[in-house]
Amino acid sequence: MTGSGIATVARQEFRLRIRAGRWKWLLGVFFLVLLGFTLLLRAALSQVSDEDLQFKGTVLYGGLMLFVLGLALLVVPALAAQSVNGDRERGTLATLQVTRLTAGEITLGKFAAAWGTALVFLALTLPLVGYAMTQNGVPVARVLILTLVLALLLGTVCAISLWWSAVLSRTTTSGVLAYISVFALSIGTLIVFGLATAVTAEQVMESYENECPPGTEAQGCVSGPVTYETTRARTDRTWWLLAPNPFVVLADAAPQIPDDSNDPLEDRVGVRAQDLDPLGQIGRQVRGLRNPPQEPSIGFGSQDRRPDAGPVWPFGLAVNVALGGLALWLTSRRLRTPTRNLPKGQRVA
Amino acid sequence: MSSPSERILHSGTGVVASGVRRTFGPVEAVRGIDLTAPRGEVTALVGPNGAGKTTLLLVLATLLVPDAGDVRVAGHDPVTEPDAVRARMGWAPDVFGLYDNLTGREYLEFCGEAYRLSRTRARTRALELLELARLPEYADRPVHTMSRGQKQRLGLARALVHEPEVLLLDEPASGLDPRSRVELRELLRLLAGQGVAVVVSSHLLGDLEELADRVVFVDRGATVGEHRLDQLPPGTAARPWRLRALDVPALVAALDRNGYDHDTPTVAGVDVRLASDEAAAELLRGLVGDGVPVVACQPLGGQLEAAYLQLTEEGR
Repeated sequence: MTGSGIATVARQEFRLRIRAGRWKWLLGVFFLVLLGFTLLLRAALSQVSDEDLQFKGTVLYGGLMLFVLGLALLVVPALAAQSVNGDRERGTLATLQVTRLTAGEITLGKFAAAWGTALVFLALTLPLVGYAMTQNGVPVARVLILTLVLALLLGTVCAISLWWSAVLSRTTTSGVLAYISVFALSIGTLIVFGLATAVTAEQVMESYENECPPGTEAQGCVSGPVTYETTRARTDRTWWLLAPNPFVVLADAAPQIPDDSNDPLEDRVGVRAQDLDPLGQIGRQVRGLRNPPQEPSIGFGSQDRRPDAGPVWPFGLAVNVALGGLALWLTSRRLRTPTRNLPKGQRVA
Repeated sequence: MSSPSERILHSGTGVVASGVRRTFGPVEAVRGIDLTAPRGEVTALVGPNGAGKTTLLLVLATLLVPDAGDVRVAGHDPVTEPDAVRARMGWAPDVFGLYDNLTGREYLEFCGEAYRLSRTRARTRALELLELARLPEYADRPVHTMSRGQKQRLGLARALVHEPEVLLLDEPASGLDPRSRVELRELLRLLAGQGVAVVVSSHLLGDLEELADRVVFVDRGATVGEHRLDQLPPGTAARPWRLRALDVPALVAALDRNGYDHDTPTVAGVDVRLASDEAAAELLRGLVGDGVPVVACQPLGGQLEAAYLQLTEEGR
């Protein structure tokens, strides 16, 4: 496998894409939707005075990133989901396979073209990110890390879509399954986590010391230990089901922003950017899931003040990257010729 | 240590395949094809639809693993050394796609790079091939503006981009007009003259008769005959001959009188099935003796067609 072989395939795919599609329109619409979202969010934030919320950029940037991820997940599966079987349908795959390009070069070239296209969409968000950075509260490290994480997540989606296009002969089927895969990652993980948490919840006996206020014993109040049965969720055993969710990975990967309240007593009426930061909030919540239940269970409405049990995103991102790598490896195996087994209804050429 | 026979293969023979078998599920597409295609010659692969020609070519083209059989293409095993074979073999399938939005030049340059030619070499090779395929005016015009025959020629040019020593063509003449077919013939003769081993599968037996040096007949997945074209077995089966006369009713009457089995007369003439050249001479003598004004008596279809019909008939 050589870099020039991969580049040959990638250049070719890029050229074909550019000539075939209405890219200017698609990119333009993508940018306008993001611009509209950013402006609306900014307008909503201007309802809060600058004195109350200094770091408007934090909220703007966080909201924008989650929105970009959602929008990109709608666009990116289409970039690779017909890459291999489309070539097969047009009769151009076999003539490529008999050249000296290896299966790995064809796979990675096609992947590079799809991922590169996805990164063009990502690059369109940078002007808006720049705007958010002017609104305070967006550390450069946060932008760098999240851009990288976003790029890797989109790469995973490209790789999985490419694999579907390699194993299925019909382009419509592979397109549908690419979208279902994205759905499984973003909604499916949430559903599975919720159900698994409900199933694994345990019944425990808890007790507390009842102290009767003076004079109530006559009315039947009994002092002493009271034992009752309660249900306790064990999210410390199921959090990993939620971890591969792209939104969770993205949000949790964001470094926490510095506290913007000058007053440690928090006695002013203002809003802390931390509390409005959508990324930080999701991050804190999923990290909290890793904690084992508190003994005894804390009362309703009281906050878990324990330090979190560590980040979730390295695990989630690793799962995503591993899935993408596996998809590429399987795609390359599928493209290897000469073939011994032909799937039903699939022609060699 | 390579055996003596192996060394011979490496030096002179383009393609050697023996006992090739391949099934697709329950279907035995190829069940024992032997084929030898020496360098410098055009070998025709002839047989009815479904005889296994395309499957065999896919095996030779490093796309399909045979279930059994020994195969060497340009001296290498397509299963264990596909890259060595690909570097020396060009393949043009019967049906193929082109990248519609590319120009002729871009298409061939891409193919050249896919065969690991340097960029400069790919560029000069693309121009050479556009010239060779008589498509220079399409250098900067998109492929989708080409006619079917032009696309077919571009596909052939693609297979030649890395100057292969073995050329495999599956029905190359389908969709070509008569003039293009003549040119294809000339091109393939030229390549054979340069030492390329050319394998052509085709139904157009008339074309092959003028093109091929050797012919391999296949029927229902097996080789049923392998001959040099100038040593075809003499036809023993009855062949159709066409008679034309100035007085058709007199001709028909004479045929009926002498008990010849003939078709209904058409504008083209009257077809009679005759067992041999001697039988034709005898018939002609008789007709002339009867005073029938015969103007033409010719066998229908060439020698190759006769041999083909006979070989594929015997297996029925």
